[in-house]
Amino acid sequence: MSNLETSQPLLSISHLEVKYGDLIGVADVSLEVGRGQIIALLGSNGAGKTTTLNAIAGLIPASSGQVEFAGHDITHQPAYAIVSQGLALSPEGWRLFVQQSVENNLMLGATTVADAAKKSDLLDKVYGIFPKLAERRTQQAGTMSGGERQMLAVGRALMSDPQLLLLDEPSLGLAPAIVESMYDTLIGLNKAGLTILLAEQSVELALEISNYAYVLQVGRNAMSGPSAALAKDPNVQKVYLGH
Amino acid sequence: MKRSVWLLLILALVVAYPLLFATPFLQRLGALVLLYAIAASAWNIVGGYAGQVSVGHVVFFGCGAYASMAFYTHFGWPPIAAVPVGMMASIGIAALIGVPTLRLSGHYFSMATIAVAELARLIVTNIEALGAAVGLSGPVMPRTVFDLSFTSALPYYYLFLAVLLVVLGLTYWMENSRIGFYLRAIKDNERAARSLGVQAGRYKLYAYMISAGLTSVAGALYATMYGFIDPDSGLGILTSVKILIMAALGGAGLLFGPLVGAAILVPLEEISNNVLGGKGAGLTFVVYGAIIMIIARFYPSGLLRLVLDRLAAANSASSDKKVRDAA
Repeated sequence: MSNLETSQPLLSISHLEVKYGDLIGVADVSLEVGRGQIIALLGSNGAGKTTTLNAIAGLIPASSGQVEFAGHDITHQPAYAIVSQGLALSPEGWRLFVQQSVENNLMLGATTVADAAKKSDLLDKVYGIFPKLAERRTQQAGTMSGGERQMLAVGRALMSDPQLLLLDEPSLGLAPAIVESMYDTLIGLNKAGLTILLAEQSVELALEISNYAYVLQVGRNAMSGPSAALAKDPNVQKVYLGH
Repeated sequence: MKRSVWLLLILALVVAYPLLFATPFLQRLGALVLLYAIAASAWNIVGGYAGQVSVGHVVFFGCGAYASMAFYTHFGWPPIAAVPVGMMASIGIAALIGVPTLRLSGHYFSMATIAVAELARLIVTNIEALGAAVGLSGPVMPRTVFDLSFTSALPYYYLFLAVLLVVLGLTYWMENSRIGFYLRAIKDNERAARSLGVQAGRYKLYAYMISAGLTSVAGALYATMYGFIDPDSGLGILTSVKILIMAALGGAGLLFGPLVGAAILVPLEEISNNVLGGKGAGLTFVVYGAIIMIIARFYPSGLLRLVLDRLAAANSASSDKKVRDAA
């Protein structure tokens, strides 16, 4: 029995469809994220990666299909209820509270954590992961560099103490060296038990650190497989890796 | 330390103002500044702190004013006694309007609030019990002191000052509480706030309801002072715009912003009315239009913010200089 439970995926999406009025953002996406894994969600601009992540997090309603998290149907739950179950989103382009201090941004990440002692433990933990944020705790978020903002966005998402972290384009607009150190941090977090679903346009990097990957095309599943195998796939190499 | 000294000094000046400038015109002007500062400060809670620009706040202003006059006309209550009625009605109306409209973003919310306000004006214009197009009057002669019907503006001045202090106190408390923390996040980036689990809809609605209740108090005080309310003065779009512009000119989202805005605009309007007489009625719109353009172009965060930023810059410059001198 317990064996069966552990083999169940942490997140499973079946036939997700999202409409913006008459426009279809995501037509039919299915995917599974197993506990402790890093899963990559790939595809070009407009393939539906961001829409998929936003729908999972409850920020936009799914028009059909089902999203299950830790054995519960969360398809029609509001964002705040989903966050408190242990699913956090670090959105595309960071979406920080630019007028507020680093620490206030982080504390807003712990909105669903009721216990004050736990909040301060989480804050210590995040400052441990990103010492730079601790140095800048009183600085206004809007005055930081791109790399620091990305750290803050990830740190803020970690403040809700998630089991699953959804990351939307963490490498967007960052210098390669900064992206690399961010990815090292992600690998560290994953080793410590965090499950990650990563949407990326930088296919090469994403395939390097993930166990399994899904490729989306115009809002549908186009391809999927173990990341190592996809990286060698001639189609993927031609279309996404430019070889 | 220095800040509290300044605040006390300004408070002392405000308290002494009607005694220092003891002419009927200036006392009445002072009372009006405080009255509009109450309304604009109440607007500031939802318009400034939550960033939801309501252009229909006159609905709540009118609700308070009409409650006072209607309960006097039909039941003989002192006008001020109906303040709780007006507040409850306003909070209820805010909940009814807010649930569907606060889901709208940006300009759409503003436009929806204008529509609701105009609708309210048309409905009241057709209700006999509310005086229809003619309006309702308060007590002609004060029956008791509780009618708050005075010939001098002096008692009104201190009454309004007391109410304003309560409104500002509430705003200050809110600013530093959990709800203020979440409202700032929502104003900064609603999508991000929601993604972190902030119940944006709920907090915006709370702010809207608190703001509506306090705005109705301003309406009741207005009706009590003037002893008269009609659809134009109580539910006209110009009052909504006036309240909004005062807050924006002074500094929306700043505690004392609306007071600064009222202290500039109310005298401007009174003086232009006095100088131009009846001919100036349409000119008020022109002046407001011009002010909207100037604020939007040059001081989008308001005059008080501009002054505070200048002061902060001057302070850091002088401390830099001290450091350099010491070195």
